[in-house]
Amino acid sequence: MFPIVLHEELSPGVHRMSVKAPEVARKCGPGQFVIVIIDEKGERIPFTVSGWDTAAKTVDFVYVEVGKSTRQLAGLKPGDNLAHLVGPLGRAAEIDRFGHVVAVASGYGIAAIVPVLDALRAKGNRVTTILQAPDVERIFGRSALERSSDRLILAAGENGPDMTASATFPLRRLLADHRGSPVDRVIVMGSICLMRIISEMTRPYGVRTMVHLTPLMVDGTGMCGACRLSVDGNNRFACVHGPEFDGHKVTGWDVLMARRCTYSDESVLRQGFQCRGCSQW
Amino acid sequence: LNLNRLEMPKQSPGERRRNFSEVATGYTYEMAMEEASRCIQCKKRNCREGCPVNVDIPDFIRLLQQGNVEGASRVLKAKTSLPGICGRVCPQESQCEHACTLNKKGAPIAIGRLERFIADWERTEGTVTTPEIAPSTGKRVAVVGSGPSGLTVASDLAIRGHAVTMFEALHVAGGVLMYGIPEFRLPKDIVQREVRYVASLGVDIRLDTVIGINYSLDELLNADYHAVYLATGAGLPQFLGVPGENLNMVYSANEFLTRTNLMKAYLHPEYATPVKMGKRVAVIGGGNVAMDSARCAVRLGAREVYVIYRRTRREMPARLEEVENAEEEGIHFHFLCTPTAFISDGRNNVAAMELLRMKLGEPDAGGRRRPVPIPGSEYAMDIDTVVVSLGTSPNPLIASTTPDLETTRRGTVTIDDKGKTSKALVWAGGDIVSGGATVISAMGEGRRAATAMHEYLSR
Ligand SMILES: Cc1cc2nc3c(=O)[nH]c(=O)nc-3n(C[C@H](O)[C@H](O)[C@H](O)COP(=O)(O)OP(=O)(O)OC[C@H]3O[C@@H](n4cnc5c(N)ncnc54)[C@H](O)[C@@H]3O)c2cc1C
Ligand SMILES: Cc1cc2nc3c(=O)[nH]c(=O)nc-3n(C[C@H](O)[C@H](O)[C@H](O)COP(=O)(O)OP(=O)(O)OC[C@H]3O[C@@H](n4cnc5c(N)ncnc54)[C@H](O)[C@@H]3O)c2cc1C
Ligand code: SF4
Ligand code: SF4
Ligand code: FES
Repeated sequence: MFPIVLHEELSPGVHRMSVKAPEVARKCGPGQFVIVIIDEKGERIPFTVSGWDTAAKTVDFVYVEVGKSTRQLAGLKPGDNLAHLVGPLGRAAEIDRFGHVVAVASGYGIAAIVPVLDALRAKGNRVTTILQAPDVERIFGRSALERSSDRLILAAGENGPDMTASATFPLRRLLADHRGSPVDRVIVMGSICLMRIISEMTRPYGVRTMVHLTPLMVDGTGMCGACRLSVDGNNRFACVHGPEFDGHKVTGWDVLMARRCTYSDESVLRQGFQCRGCSQW
Repeated sequence: LNLNRLEMPKQSPGERRRNFSEVATGYTYEMAMEEASRCIQCKKRNCREGCPVNVDIPDFIRLLQQGNVEGASRVLKAKTSLPGICGRVCPQESQCEHACTLNKKGAPIAIGRLERFIADWERTEGTVTTPEIAPSTGKRVAVVGSGPSGLTVASDLAIRGHAVTMFEALHVAGGVLMYGIPEFRLPKDIVQREVRYVASLGVDIRLDTVIGINYSLDELLNADYHAVYLATGAGLPQFLGVPGENLNMVYSANEFLTRTNLMKAYLHPEYATPVKMGKRVAVIGGGNVAMDSARCAVRLGAREVYVIYRRTRREMPARLEEVENAEEEGIHFHFLCTPTAFISDGRNNVAAMELLRMKLGEPDAGGRRRPVPIPGSEYAMDIDTVVVSLGTSPNPLIASTTPDLETTRRGTVTIDDKGKTSKALVWAGGDIVSGGATVISAMGEGRRAATAMHEYLSR
């Protein structure tokens, strides 16, 4: 049993949960994930760790209510238990001294990218972060991102200063300045579409772009192959070889997106998850 | 000589196509007595030699003939700690029953069914006998993986007085018995009962703990374990490596079976995990895994299920009984062909596959005739779901985090004839060594290693 020690709503439908899990907290690295099972009839749900505390022996993750399991999770209170939690799974994000790193985060990525940025800054990188949200009301985790970045750019609707509809606008400006003020690396944690689009934007500039891929998973330990995808023409399992991959080497984004949508229903359409050109609709 | 081998009652094919309840319902007491009475108590114990763990078959059958089920159970359990499981899933037709003298007349004693009867009888009628546990030796052992091999070592060493901790990556103990073999062939209650039995011997079962992640092998040894048994199985799925294999609705058997069995997707939405099933399903492969996948597909509502196998029926590695069950359930078999590509419906869902016909050529190293493609024999088949059931190899996680553990090119761990690996204090057995074999061989290797480990620990 894994006791919930903290559970707060950060913005409508977005929650942070902190769970006591000593053996997981001991080993966590930035960009890794855990798999949670709520109760004995629950499914295995992957969440990226947004923080951990080795002294308090806890791990944190931020999740968005999208379907049945995340709604059920939202109903739990501190003191309740999660039946199971396993991790840290996957490989930690690659951390080195790159120079100027531009990070793009949307959705739960806004929280989950924080440990990655902290590790990058500890290595001496300069970090510019673009936070994308549908509108100002739905921004969360802004102060944490501010603390973990040298500069924060908001892309959250068109109203307000410095605000653009999508992360692609400020990124385009940064890339246009690339010669004068180089971008050495881009790292994206957001929807698969966003990660794909940004990989295509940076490709002509040859800026290495890391994406954090989230295909459907079952076991999360390399046993089932549900999370397989094609990288540089090779079959890779996101749960063991990823979830961080070089976005320019991911082949078959269409297939990845289609597989991701196997179990989506109308509830997803309603929430504005649908993207133009998505192969499933 | 009575050559009337007694059949076991089964659910009718029409009925069982619609449920996940056990297909064969087992002998009644009277049936078990009748079948046992056929055994002629051979002096030369051929049957015993045919069993990988040398169950004293004539002895337990003699006790059954005398109506002493409890005594029979004791004899049985001296060699197999999981009789209810072996009786159900052992390939008896190529092991004990194959060797039975009466097999020469085509009617071997139904040894597996008798074992199953004894285990089930003990479960429902008898008193569970817990063996006497030796006084504590003060030695601590880590068992990694809770499949049949790990369960065997854990119980054998716990009985001998060692403190055993068993680590399991998944949220349930039992290995393939839980995540692979379906409920209709091996009820999960029976597996969990064995797991509880092992726990009752004092084994500390730590679920949700991945060795190689939460603890490396060296961390275990440096912590305070005096010995480690590795039994992590062969859980890495293999793929064909043909175009289109990642399309939506192409499953690996491991994903399909894990969703269905471990996560109980057949009870969705009561259980949260879904499994999507199409109407025309192709299962690629000819082993037990393929049969289980095909039969799950039928039960999940597929209209037509095809097993695609590149050799012939005769070379299929699946258990005969299960092939027959599959045929009765309306599964179609396409022999001597292999998929060469999967075709998309334009939206990245699989819609068809291309196949190539094969013929049998020269025998390979294992003696099975090798399939050879027939050039120009390509053809296509419309399907909307594929389950790739080609086999598995060991998960590289532990080997890759343990540089001094010797492995083969296939990724299996190398051991000596007592189960000892190249690494000090580490033994191994089961599918991680064989690359994929049987429940009984995984147990047999566990028993052998437990003896060696006990010897070492008692020094
Ligand atoms: C490595 C990894 C890390 C993740 N990290 C986070 C995180 O930090 N915070 C967070 O909120 N979510 C994260 N996700 C996604 C999260 O697991 C899903 O949102 C969750 O499983 C949805 O469950 P549900 O029952 O509420 O929704 P469902 O009803 O199952 O599905 C609703 C929608 O979510 C999609 N979805 C379902 N399962 C997954 C999945 N495993 N991965 C991606 N999309 C899925 C479905 O296609 C559908 O569109 C991560 C996924 C992966 C693979
Ligand atoms: C679908 C299917 C049907 C089969 N049918 C039959 C049959 O009818 N008859 C028969 O005799 N055999 C059958 N087999 C084969 C048989 O099940 C296996 O040979 C046997 O289960 C192997 O036992 P094991 O203990 O070595 O490993 P497994 O049963 O594979 O157990 C290994 C366990 O280790 C865990 N693990 C893996 N890595 C780690 C780690 N790093 N840390 C902690 N835990 C870990 C796994 O989660 C798993 O629970 C079948 C196999 C499959 C897949
Ligand atoms: S353990 Fe398996 S092979 Fe041995 S006697 Fe029993 S059924 Fe036969
Ligand atoms: S070989 Fe067959 S008949 Fe002979 S003792 Fe064994 S089970 Fe009985
Ligand atoms: S989730 Fe099963 S292999 Fe990655």
